[in-house]
Amino acid sequence: MATTRGAQEALLEVVDLRTHFATADGLVRAVDGVSLRIRPGKTLGVVGESGCGKSITALSIMRLIERPGRIVSGSITFDGQDLLRLPEDEMRNIRGNEISMIFQEPMTSLNPVYTCGDQIAEAVSRHGSLTQREAAARAVEMLEQVGIPDAKRRAGEHPHQLSGGMRQRVMIAMALSTNPQLLIADEPTTALDVTIQAQILELMKALRERNGMAIMLITHDLGVVAEMSDDVSVMYAGKVVESSDAITVYDRPHHPYTKGLLASIPRMGARRERLDVIKGVVPNPLNLPSGCLFKRRCPYAMPICDNAPPLRLVAEGHVSRCWLAPDGGRPELGEAPSAAEAEAAALTLTVANP
Amino acid sequence: MVTYIVRRLIQAIPIVIGISVISFAIVYLTPGSPIDKFRTGRVSPQTIANLIRVYGLDQPLPVQFVNWFTHFWSFPFNSTAWGYSFTDGLPVRDKIFGRAPSTLLLMGTSLVVSMLLAIPIGILQAVKQYSWADRIITTFETIGYAMPTFWLGLILKQFFSVQLKWLPLYGQNTLGKQGDIPDMIAHLILPVSTLAVVSVAGWSRYMRASMLEVLRQDYVRTARAKGLGPARVIGRHALRNALIPIVTLLGLTIPTLLSGAAITETVFSWPGLGWLGVQAVGDRDYPVVLAVTMIGGMMVILGNLLADVLYGVVDPRIHY
Repeated sequence: MATTRGAQEALLEVVDLRTHFATADGLVRAVDGVSLRIRPGKTLGVVGESGCGKSITALSIMRLIERPGRIVSGSITFDGQDLLRLPEDEMRNIRGNEISMIFQEPMTSLNPVYTCGDQIAEAVSRHGSLTQREAAARAVEMLEQVGIPDAKRRAGEHPHQLSGGMRQRVMIAMALSTNPQLLIADEPTTALDVTIQAQILELMKALRERNGMAIMLITHDLGVVAEMSDDVSVMYAGKVVESSDAITVYDRPHHPYTKGLLASIPRMGARRERLDVIKGVVPNPLNLPSGCLFKRRCPYAMPICDNAPPLRLVAEGHVSRCWLAPDGGRPELGEAPSAAEAEAAALTLTVANP
Repeated sequence: MVTYIVRRLIQAIPIVIGISVISFAIVYLTPGSPIDKFRTGRVSPQTIANLIRVYGLDQPLPVQFVNWFTHFWSFPFNSTAWGYSFTDGLPVRDKIFGRAPSTLLLMGTSLVVSMLLAIPIGILQAVKQYSWADRIITTFETIGYAMPTFWLGLILKQFFSVQLKWLPLYGQNTLGKQGDIPDMIAHLILPVSTLAVVSVAGWSRYMRASMLEVLRQDYVRTARAKGLGPARVIGRHALRNALIPIVTLLGLTIPTLLSGAAITETVFSWPGLGWLGVQAVGDRDYPVVLAVTMIGGMMVILGNLLADVLYGVVDPRIHY
């Protein structure tokens, strides 16, 4: 591995994942060559606009992609085994046990006809050898851990009797009840009020410290990422466009898309008439432009952008899918490779530097 | 819950009165009269006039209505509360009570059989949506749903009774074998099948739609994300939710348990309330027609109430 990060053993390593959806209108490449790395006990923030493939990446890792979606190629190595090659029943033993997931919509993610305690206990007894009574006790204990007051009574209540924030706590309790090594949190705070968001993030941080688990945090909120993440991968139109540790991404973003995202955060005290927004919209997934997918919205677009850029090494442990020079300047004219060369470069870099 | 039920029953009173007035009006305004069958020329006009007076048909309609309506409600204690049949002179209440068990048996059996078939079929279709199995079953459902029961009943009789001679042609028992259970079951098979073909087609469509709706829900994905297998995800998490609308619909079909299937009962000469009603309409046997209609109306009200109560039982989000 080329980078210092690469030297460290990864808990989860996604290489060149492609998940496509065969819709009536054509093939949607929702995830198209995504590579990610999550270190044990660390938090990876996955950032991008709606529809960039973040959630599909997460569901692919869980192997919960449903028709018409299909994982076409790639590998997902977790704890030394390729999840994509596991038979379904072995995958079920990992789901909810070693890898847990919480979802964006706490209001609808719990089954309305069973009590909260039941639903947590179900996860516990699915993956352990506890008796029903022990599992129920574990459920109450988990509800206490996620800060639900009067946990014993709440365990006997149905989801509709709880607020959105409480339900998300129940989801977290359910996800963590089996002590997973990896928690995938798909926009866990998006549907919640700002004050509740902060509480949930604090809770996740505290539980991360206590359980030593890794988190894959999917969000479109760079503030949340800054708060939580050790590493950041920025996604755009089904591809990772920039990846590094969180501080580097915030201090020295390389990809124009990342820069645009950072510039579009409103800041207190900044005297600006208007917020800087990224112009244009995400390209239609059924009709992607050739070359760089971001070029039509990019203030730095240049002729070479008609060739798809590979993920290029910008600095130690920092990759960016952009033709700009590592210092962010325009590349020398002679430097521009042909499309074929770009292709070859892309391949080698993806392999060397996922 | 109890206050809710009591409130609903009180609300039902004006509805029952409305049903009574409308049923009475329709029955009495229907062309023809129970006396018509005597107007053959061999019965003297004097006798006919006497008959009209005996049946009370000479009185003004409002008087007849009040007479009938006030007597109607004493039926729990009074066997003549619903009057006497114009055709055989028997008390209507005894005729109805005598026929009710047959209808309950026929309709109850076909409802149970339909549910036992329709729910698994609907689940299968939803889980394997757009598969070949789903498409083929959908085709049969459409055919089954479109099939008129009188025609299907005749075809089944022609095939299984007349040609193959496997099953009896009509009735509830072979003459002289009243109360013989195996004999009765043999008599049940064809009418139950006739009714089931149509209702399985309908119910399995409901079940399929309901299940598809539930399978899309976030909590089903949560269940899968817990590592649960398909049996538990579908059988526990999805099914319980998918059954909520089905249970409600089930409450709404309760009235048919007693009002019966007029056509199927007639085709198979099944001695139930449906057939009785059809005969009574033909004879303009006003007291019997009214009693059958009123039972149907009251069962609809009770069925609706039952549906709402069941809804509260199966869905923890509903409280009364």
